Amino acid sequence: MTPALSDFARMARRRAAMSAAGRILVFAVLLVMSLTFLSPLYLMLAMAFKSSSELATTSAWSWPKQFTLENFKTVLTAPAMNFLLFGRNTMFIAVTNTVGVVLSSAMVAYAFARLRFKGRDRLFIIVLATMMLPGIVTMVPTYVLYARLHWINTFLPLTVPGFLGGGAFNIFMLRQFFMSVPRELDEAAVIDGASHWTVFTRIMLPLSTAALATVGVFTFSGAFRDFMGPLLYLNDPDMKTLEVGLQTYAGLRGERWDLIMAGSVITTVPLILLFFVGQKYFVKGITLTGGK
Amino acid sequence: MKRALLFIAALLGLLTASSPARAEVTLRFVIWDGDEYVRAQEPAIRDFEKAHPGVKVKLESVTNNYMTRLLAQYAAGVAPDVVMMDPFSFHKFARRGALLPLNDFMANTPGFDIKQYYPSLVDAMSADGKHYVLPKDIAPQGIIFYNKKLFDEAGIPYPDGTWTWDFQERPELKEKDFLWVMHQLTKKDDRGRTTQYGYAVGWTNLFVETVAFSLGARYVDDYKEPHKTFYDDPRFIRAFDFLLELTKEKKWVPGETELNTVLQTGALKLFTEGKVAMYQTGAWEIVPMRRDIRPGAPGFFEWDVTLAPAYKNGQLVTPTGGSGYAIMAGTKHPKEAWALASWMGGEPGMSVMAEKGLSQPARMDMSRRAPWVPDANTPPEQRYPANRAVTDIAAQHVLFPPTHDFYPQVQDRAFAENEKIVNGSKTPAEVLGEGNRLAQARLNLLWSQEKSSPPFDWVKGWLFGGLLAVGLVAWVYWPERKKKLTQAMKKENRMGYLFITPWLIGIVGLTLGPMLLSLMMSFASWDIVTDAKWRGPGNFIEMVTADPRFFPALKVTAVYTAVAVPIGLTASFLLALLLNVDVKGIPLYRTCFYLPTLASGVANALVWKKIFQADGGLLNTIIYGPHGDGNFLGLAAMLRGVAGANGQVNWIGNEKTALASLILMSLWGAGGGTVVLLAGLQGIPKMLYEAATLDGAGPWARTKAVTLPMMSPYLLFSLVTGMIGTLQAFTEAFVMTGGGPGDSTRFYMLHLYTEAFEGLRMGYSSALAWVLFFVILAVTALQFWLSKRFVYYEGDIKK
Repeated sequence: MTPALSDFARMARRRAAMSAAGRILVFAVLLVMSLTFLSPLYLMLAMAFKSSSELATTSAWSWPKQFTLENFKTVLTAPAMNFLLFGRNTMFIAVTNTVGVVLSSAMVAYAFARLRFKGRDRLFIIVLATMMLPGIVTMVPTYVLYARLHWINTFLPLTVPGFLGGGAFNIFMLRQFFMSVPRELDEAAVIDGASHWTVFTRIMLPLSTAALATVGVFTFSGAFRDFMGPLLYLNDPDMKTLEVGLQTYAGLRGERWDLIMAGSVITTVPLILLFFVGQKYFVKGITLTGGK
Repeated sequence: MKRALLFIAALLGLLTASSPARAEVTLRFVIWDGDEYVRAQEPAIRDFEKAHPGVKVKLESVTNNYMTRLLAQYAAGVAPDVVMMDPFSFHKFARRGALLPLNDFMANTPGFDIKQYYPSLVDAMSADGKHYVLPKDIAPQGIIFYNKKLFDEAGIPYPDGTWTWDFQERPELKEKDFLWVMHQLTKKDDRGRTTQYGYAVGWTNLFVETVAFSLGARYVDDYKEPHKTFYDDPRFIRAFDFLLELTKEKKWVPGETELNTVLQTGALKLFTEGKVAMYQTGAWEIVPMRRDIRPGAPGFFEWDVTLAPAYKNGQLVTPTGGSGYAIMAGTKHPKEAWALASWMGGEPGMSVMAEKGLSQPARMDMSRRAPWVPDANTPPEQRYPANRAVTDIAAQHVLFPPTHDFYPQVQDRAFAENEKIVNGSKTPAEVLGEGNRLAQARLNLLWSQEKSSPPFDWVKGWLFGGLLAVGLVAWVYWPERKKKLTQAMKKENRMGYLFITPWLIGIVGLTLGPMLLSLMMSFASWDIVTDAKWRGPGNFIEMVTADPRFFPALKVTAVYTAVAVPIGLTASFLLALLLNVDVKGIPLYRTCFYLPTLASGVANALVWKKIFQADGGLLNTIIYGPHGDGNFLGLAAMLRGVAGANGQVNWIGNEKTALASLILMSLWGAGGGTVVLLAGLQGIPKMLYEAATLDGAGPWARTKAVTLPMMSPYLLFSLVTGMIGTLQAFTEAFVMTGGGPGDSTRFYMLHLYTEAFEGLRMGYSSALAWVLFFVILAVTALQFWLSKRFVYYEGDIKK
């Protein structure tokens, strides 16, 4: 059902005509809103580059009159801070988790979306139910469990769970995505004798770049930013993550906002860059057009 | 898949194989101090290691969630050796045998004498005649920092601490009357606004306590074993009235609104800026003061410290802080642990802290000499404040808060509504009367539960848990047990289970056990530290009959969810549609909208505090204009009913607007939902749009016929997970409001958290959690049931 060329031309003209006014509006709305949403970053940068005396005497919103790197120096040279080591620990946890979560949640979600097996729908209710109990009351029992497994003071509690299903949120999200993929696409392959593993890896995963990238970014930034996990499970000062290492300034009396913000910049900017670079995958959708 | 499994196996191997080399004895030493304190202590710890060959110390600085972490470690049997403790926290450990008594160590250590330490501090850290904590610092709050320049300008001699005060000014006493000095040092402009305050106090209760304690009022009957509460003592009420008079009528003292600058302890900032002549706070603010009032820097002034005044004819009694080191009972190296504790809580440890001005030594002799009190050899940067000797006098006139481990919960009830006094919506007498009633009720409840109840029967508990697990499996499998499967279907069935294997391992191995345990605990009373006791349905009965916060918390959470979720979902969806168009720079916009989700929590919280601030906050500046006389969109007129004392709205400090403010704030996180929906939008095959366009559908018709149905699975996802998340909302209130004012933002989870970790009532909070679980389950089921009609799955399995 290839449309006639003239149809496309007409379509294109109509779209262009609509957009002229619409685009300016969209642009304006986006601009105003993004400025609002940029304010935490602005505040963070402005405060991180101010000297403590300037911070004490000026409004938090003012841009630093004298840029100083002193705060970053203080933060990075603190005796309890080992930036390279903590950065490596953080990266290890975040990358391992991302790999584990994306892989395992996609597998599980695929089964719930595409395969018929006994008890599937009720098992899915159990998947969702694991999100419904507040983590506060399972925290201590979980800690005791990890201690029995001798996992305390290792990276295991922070990485292994990621490989075991990747969490209900991600499973649910990917299941919804997979269920929206037209069935014709993989049924043909199954009829041709392809195994489900092949359908999963060769058809489903490549079609779902956007959803997988979303899960990946959520997981990576979540693990990168995680505070409670590393704080609870790691004792050794050499195993700290950046977020835990930088927390040392939050507990200060007469709080050192200059240092807290410098620390925030250090952990936030890599994430922003990652998101900015990675966001092109969010829009890699099913670009199939009709008429094959 | 095999490769994935191999990878996991390799990873496991890699991580477990590397075990660090050990010195003879390694001590885990945990403190809640951060940065500057760690810097100061490191050298003392290294010296300790040199003096004790074969002993290695691993310092863990835990500035956040200190007690939670310690409790979890204690429960799991992996507690550290030496830990920092304060008089208000050690009791819950000590009472349950989790700390080693230090008496024998003290007696057997030559040269050690506990009598050298401040007696009040030693007493506050002992129970039943046993010492559990070796004090390391004391922080009396009966000291006043003053700006010498402002005294000079007013022609008043510098205070020497021999002054008093009354509720009325006594000009005849001149500089010996604190109120007169305060009055003289206050300056106002021609519109009656204060430009320079005579006196400021670190926090409201410090003022109230300084006044009422010196008049002889006390919070409870027995500070070690409280049974009766006296929060509504007329002397506390009088002290509050006095504060209101000074802040709101006379305006000699900045009130909460004026101090609400968010960035720093407000009063500290006013003092360092030279806008406050006298500032009462603890010695821990010396370091930030030295940093911000630097000799040679612009705005520098001479400053010093003096003793706070006692009330007329009264005794000087002020609140205090203090901390020390305790040894966990589970330590394998008690001797070395004591060596470390007495090193850090003795001369070597305390003098490094004193040298940097970080904390006043707990030993009286050390509090009276260098390095704490400056002498001729003190380096210039550590000379301020010169008169540090007064901290020793102040330390002899202190009153520690009650140390019983019930007390934090009791005080929490008593002070919960104090904001209403400050914002003027209720009188001190009303608030303190009600606070005292609630506090006493709480105390009675806690004592009544102390009565012996049978131990929790773990065999029966796990048997029940096992049965439940079996029941769950049966529930999953039973309906389809007789289903006949063809060969192909059998294969698919097997594949299905193979694909979900990782999740099955996770739920059976890691998730189910803790969940079942918390379910069991919901029928028990459990404080983490000691063994659980059987309570039957007692927790659930308490919820509906004896917990005045249960229903309000449910209501607040329901309102928050009902409003925030639909608005948030709509915002996310519109944003996603907006970001899905092809405009220049769209990657930049996408990043912008996601930013609040990426930016650190403190930065976000700060932004919102700056927006909601009563005085000069962004929202008020928009509504009232920079001069406070604007009326943006008529909002100022509409908001007249909720405006505070300054004629503007104190957004998060006002009961009527606090929850709405948090809802507004939740929209900030819409970017996270947008990313999910954006991914969904990308999943819509373009051919559907092309086909619709060919059929003559306009943009609206295309949205209705293609976008909405195709997006329905993601909208359902966002709705369900949004609801689950919002019903468990916690951080927003925890960071921004702490549940107040009143109970107006006390989310269910906040209540649960407070019960769990501040009240150490894990059993009760588990019961709360399971009630929430079933509420969420019901809400989710309803959503799925309703969704059947609206949600369209392109790739649904045809039945």
